[in-house]
Amino acid sequence: MPRAQPPRVVGRADVREIENPGQAVRTVAGNPGPTTDLRLAPPATRAKKEAVNQLLVGTVLVGGGALLSRRFLAGYPRPPVATDCLAPREWATVAAAADATFPEGGALPPSGEQAGVAEHVDRFVAAQQPSTRLLMRLLFVLVEHATVVFPAPGRGGRRRFSDLDREQRVRVLEGWRTSPLFPRRLVFTSLRAILTMGYLGDAEVMRLLGLAPPEIERRVCEADLLWGRIGEPSSAVRFRREDLSAAGPVVPIAVPAEAHRFDEPRPGGVA
Amino acid sequence: MSGSVRVFADYRGDVLESCDVVVVGSGPGGAVVAHGLAKAGRDVVLVEEGPPFTPEDFVVDGAISMSRTMREGGLRATRGFVMPTMQANALGGGSLVNSAICVRSPRTTLDAWAEQYGLSRTGRDDLDPHYQAIEDLVGIAPTPDEVQGPRNLLFREGCRALGWSCEPIARNVVGCRGSGECFTGCRSRAKQSTDVSLVPAAIRSGARVLTSARVERVLTWGRRRATGVEGSIVRPFTGEATHRFRIDAKVVVLAAGCMATPVLLQKSGDLANSSGQVGENLQFHPGVAILGVFPDRTEPQFGATQGYQSLHFVSEGFKMETLWAPPGVFAVRLPGFGLDFKANLARIPYCAVFDSISSCNRSLGSVRARRSGMDPVLHWRLHHEDVRILAKAMWAMAKVFFAAGATSILPGVHGLPDEMRSPDEAEVLLTHSYRPTDLTCSGNHVFSTTRMHGDPRRGVVGEDGLCHDFDNLYVADTGILPRSPSVNPMLTLMAIAHRMSGEIAARL
Repeated sequence: MPRAQPPRVVGRADVREIENPGQAVRTVAGNPGPTTDLRLAPPATRAKKEAVNQLLVGTVLVGGGALLSRRFLAGYPRPPVATDCLAPREWATVAAAADATFPEGGALPPSGEQAGVAEHVDRFVAAQQPSTRLLMRLLFVLVEHATVVFPAPGRGGRRRFSDLDREQRVRVLEGWRTSPLFPRRLVFTSLRAILTMGYLGDAEVMRLLGLAPPEIERRVCEADLLWGRIGEPSSAVRFRREDLSAAGPVVPIAVPAEAHRFDEPRPGGVA
Repeated sequence: MSGSVRVFADYRGDVLESCDVVVVGSGPGGAVVAHGLAKAGRDVVLVEEGPPFTPEDFVVDGAISMSRTMREGGLRATRGFVMPTMQANALGGGSLVNSAICVRSPRTTLDAWAEQYGLSRTGRDDLDPHYQAIEDLVGIAPTPDEVQGPRNLLFREGCRALGWSCEPIARNVVGCRGSGECFTGCRSRAKQSTDVSLVPAAIRSGARVLTSARVERVLTWGRRRATGVEGSIVRPFTGEATHRFRIDAKVVVLAAGCMATPVLLQKSGDLANSSGQVGENLQFHPGVAILGVFPDRTEPQFGATQGYQSLHFVSEGFKMETLWAPPGVFAVRLPGFGLDFKANLARIPYCAVFDSISSCNRSLGSVRARRSGMDPVLHWRLHHEDVRILAKAMWAMAKVFFAAGATSILPGVHGLPDEMRSPDEAEVLLTHSYRPTDLTCSGNHVFSTTRMHGDPRRGVVGEDGLCHDFDNLYVADTGILPRSPSVNPMLTLMAIAHRMSGEIAARL
């Protein structure tokens, strides 16, 4: 019995067409094509195989899509407050990172949640221009899903960052901080900067640190006669020439008594 | 002639103006030129993209403040060697959010400029009268002890103990109360940033000021004449364009900043670039900072933001100074997580921060326009030879800290201990083999992207700031400095701009 010949390929280089009148099968260039000579199989078998293949491909696509959407989109709770900008998944990432970085108690009692870190980050991201906002969102996506590539230590380390337990989150962040790979350290630095500025943006934290901004007496200068607050027209200027602050000695803000004390200042420096 | 100012809420439609001189940018360079020309009786329009800020508009919170006062929300960074750098977007430009440091460039630096860049009249003796004029104009004086605060005085103690020279920093402030808020805007109205000093003075002399006006193109006629600028009126903070404007002028002065002026020239059809130097030679003063922890509270938030400096090592390429900024900026480098990290945060009131700016003349980069928008793409690399300067600077700062009585320092260098507790331990800062990415740097002070050069084939502008390729197009920002001025550049730029305004006035 003569050996069946593989289908002859004709046509353009990028699309091959199997010469088989009435049963043309197109394959992508580079793909060696079907190993079974379709011309030898009865039409019902061919149709069945194709249907099975399509079912398999469909199942893989749908299943993969479901897994990806579950990993990237689904299962995030609503933020506890209305947000200006952050999506629930971004809020979850930020809140989880803030919780790992600022747990309750210790030298500064407020936790990241109590200090409103996520709220601050939400306002900060909302204040950015669209291109910058996109970069920040990419940062959150990276942090949230990098555990696929760099899993957290312990069981279930390939979960999303926000699904990890606190100890795992701390170890993930520490891994980023001390990584020999500069881009990983950079991601960590960016994230910690955003979180820390949020934590130190809380008035109570700053009060506890003794770093609350001092009250400053409003002085009026010539510029205040020319324009008002941002958003107001220049006709809305509320100061007049007679309001200008008088020139003269200004009292420095007093440094608290417990601060480091110095001997009597010596005259001048040595240039 | 009566001057005027328009803010965003004043615009009702498109704007068309004509004048003798249009100045783009109200920072230290542009404001000096605008003021000088207006005072000389010339018809000046000053155009600024950002809005004017009042003390009520300032936000002490560092992150939110940056997003309001800086381009790209304060999150701009270089590519190649990733380093954050900033550019202000406000009336007053960088002077609104810098720490007001005004230092004359050393004679040796200016002599080197003359030799290497074919400059015959930009020596120290040439600039001294202009330095003096600016110092008188904006009230520059050394920071008095009364507003130094413990943090700055500790630096002095350390330098003196080591026998290293140090001096109170001269700043353009009047009536400073030592609130340490220079970087988020001076609520005391003490800092004489150009929005409260030279711009009002220019308006008094007849200048018209358009704020919230973003210049997008320099208009030209023929090959050597600029005829004006055009652009969009933009909403503060969002940048949303609402109207168009055009200013026709006999002379155009670009003072949009070292990172913006090249973009403007490139977007206008690659103007003034027969030398191929527009956007090239990008240089920074990379800054490295060290935290020191003291046994007593230093109350670092009190005192002048930057009150003391040491020029002891300027000949070796770096200058040391004290520093304060919103604490979130420093806290990034504190080690630990969770309760440990919070314990470290709680040490901030016992800390001081010293930083150094380094003249890294071998580390070069470029500025390119993006396909859309007016923000730049910055490429820059830290040269390995320049890393040694930064290492020596960190070593020197560590010495000052320990000499001042610090119990430990936090250098923030990858690969080295998070905390060092003795001068001996800190010696590794000098001997360590660094990769550039081990360092946490910030890109302070930017120069040379439209550099001044006596040879038109090697520079964009001449000593007078006039573009070699044009008869009436000037540049007046730090882009014209041919290389690092060794110290903070503001005063040197203002001195050059002061000379420029006199020369332009004489030409008109």
